[in-house]
Amino acid sequence: MTEWKDEMTAIERMTAYAKGEDIDRLPCVPIVGNTAARVIGVKVSDFRGNGELIAKAHIAAYKLFHYDNIRVFTDLYTQAEAMGSEVIYPEDETAYLGQPVIKLDPRLSNLDEIDKLRPADPYKDGNLPEHLKAMRIVVDAVGEEVPVGGAVTGPFTNSSFLVGAENLVRLTLKNPEAVHKLCQVSLESNLRYVDAVIDAGVTPSLTDAMSSSTVISPRLFRKFSLPYLKKLIDHIHDKGKKVTLHICGKTDGIWEDMVKAGADCLSIDNDADILKAKELVGDRVMLMGNVRPSETMLEGTVEDVRKATVEVVRKVYDSPKGFIVASGCSLPTETPFENIHEMLNTVRRIGNPFAIKDATSIVA
Amino acid sequence: MEKEELLRQIADAVVEMEEDTVEELAQQSLTAGIDAYETIDLGLAKGMERAGQLFDEEEYFVPELLMCSDAMNVGIDVLKPHLKSENVSKKGKVVIGVVEGDTHDIGKNLVRLMMETGGFEVLDLGRDIPPAEFVSKAEEYGADIIGIATLMTTTMPGMKEVVDILANKGIRDKYKVIVGGGPISPAFAKKIGADGYARNAADAVKVAEKLLGNTDLALGA
Ligand code: B12
Repeated sequence: MTEWKDEMTAIERMTAYAKGEDIDRLPCVPIVGNTAARVIGVKVSDFRGNGELIAKAHIAAYKLFHYDNIRVFTDLYTQAEAMGSEVIYPEDETAYLGQPVIKLDPRLSNLDEIDKLRPADPYKDGNLPEHLKAMRIVVDAVGEEVPVGGAVTGPFTNSSFLVGAENLVRLTLKNPEAVHKLCQVSLESNLRYVDAVIDAGVTPSLTDAMSSSTVISPRLFRKFSLPYLKKLIDHIHDKGKKVTLHICGKTDGIWEDMVKAGADCLSIDNDADILKAKELVGDRVMLMGNVRPSETMLEGTVEDVRKATVEVVRKVYDSPKGFIVASGCSLPTETPFENIHEMLNTVRRIGNPFAIKDATSIVA
Repeated sequence: MEKEELLRQIADAVVEMEEDTVEELAQQSLTAGIDAYETIDLGLAKGMERAGQLFDEEEYFVPELLMCSDAMNVGIDVLKPHLKSENVSKKGKVVIGVVEGDTHDIGKNLVRLMMETGGFEVLDLGRDIPPAEFVSKAEEYGADIIGIATLMTTTMPGMKEVVDILANKGIRDKYKVIVGGGPISPAFAKKIGADGYARNAADAVKVAEKLLGNTDLALGA
């Protein structure tokens, strides 16, 4: 196997790309989450309450693959956990939600419980302090060469972890006020957390699965998710950071709104048509995505990865505000290393996006 | 009001998620002497079926479908005490759950709901369920159908395991196995030896009915 070398650091590349200057290759971010545990040979649950280990794994994963953004992430539930929800940690798989902190009865008659919720203190509650520690260590180690992001679960999705997904979804129609309360307290948690994340020297990176049009209609998204996302993003902008927003599943009906929320970069899931995203919003936001995390990255051959990578580059290499070659969502933990290498190597072989004449000339 | 008209209005009220109207009309149906079973079958369940279609057409989303089901349940609460016992016999028993390693349960819950509406007795095992538990619970419950869901490709092998365990125990023929969820295809269902597949909750009911009517494979829907 040829050793493919980059000529620029990730930060040099992103900076030049933003200015429209030539770059050695497109930015590329196979979104590595708990796969980082595999890189240093530890169990996923070893990350629990161990910021040093999380940092070690993410630094090692970055050094192995040389992608263009490190996202410190273990699971979506860290803030809900810090607000009192139970999170279950299987020995060697990604954590998941146990009992939400607010246990609503089926008739939803105890909604006043919601008033008891308090925003999390990022320096004290749950595993947040350890995540912040991980972020600081990563930035200290490699922050000069690669952008570092800290995962933040958006207000609507975090709310679903406070009462349970089904209850939240029901409440959107049954008791809008309760949903607003949940989103508000989630937003307050988010604001405190992003302040801490930014103080740690890291850029918050937003993810909001439940806002997907696979779950709620664009109309409900605009009513319950958008206003809080916008406040959160405004706040991050005030602190001088740019924002990437990821929403899973179908999203074409809400791209305009995601732009309106202020996102600088939309991370497009493989369930959505990224070519259409380029046409509709590519003139206003950077795009990233959308190689299939499971079918291609986890289960595909190296050849499949190469083909899928070429395909997505052909579609969006010329997106006006730029494009980051990425997986459509976080990679499954067991994604083979050679597939991650192959995504990057394919992008390296394609080279400078500004030198591409037309889509059909792209081969790798 | 004529019977057909009343049942139609009940169905509409379910589709419109109007709990109070459903309750009122269900009362009216009893006063009018309409058989409670008929009101459930041709009023409430019809409405829920239509809601399922709207969901499929992306007119409705998860919240709307859950609200329709809440409205339907209000009606069922009114009518249940008036069901004649011969009507209570169900179409069949189903155990359903999400395979181990996967905690996505919104879709599975909708399938459970539609199955219940469609006249099946359902035991919901929940999410993150080990393959062996599907089998042991089906045995305990005396199920006719085992419904397995997953939304993640990483957990798909768990579905095959359920089928394999059934085969190894020599009880494969006792059950119809139906599978579903985002990454599942009819081809996958066939490959692992499942009996049925459905791409959405409304179809799941039809497939289950077909299977218990002993129409052979129901992998088409
Ligand atoms: C909402 C959501 C979540 C919520 C789930 C809340 C809940 N309680 O369920 C939250 C935020 C918690 C979540 C978490 C995660 N998610 Co998620 N999530 C989604 C999302 C956006 C929508 C899923 C949904 O609810 N759809 C709506 C329902 C109604 O549809 P459905 O489930 O398909 O069900 C219908 C049919 O399939 C069918 N059906 C369903 N079950 C059955 C069963 C039978 C027997 C039959 C016959 C039919 C049938 O009928 C249903 C109704 O019509 C999808 C995106 C997508 N494209 O689906 C990702 C998605 C499923 N998630 C994904 C991932 C990776 C995760 C995480 C691992 C993320 C992470 N890194 O932490 C975790 C999972 C943790 C775990 N171990 O389980 C991936 C899975 C990738 C893959 N192919 O493996 C998806 C596809 C996103 C993506 N593109 O990468 N997620």
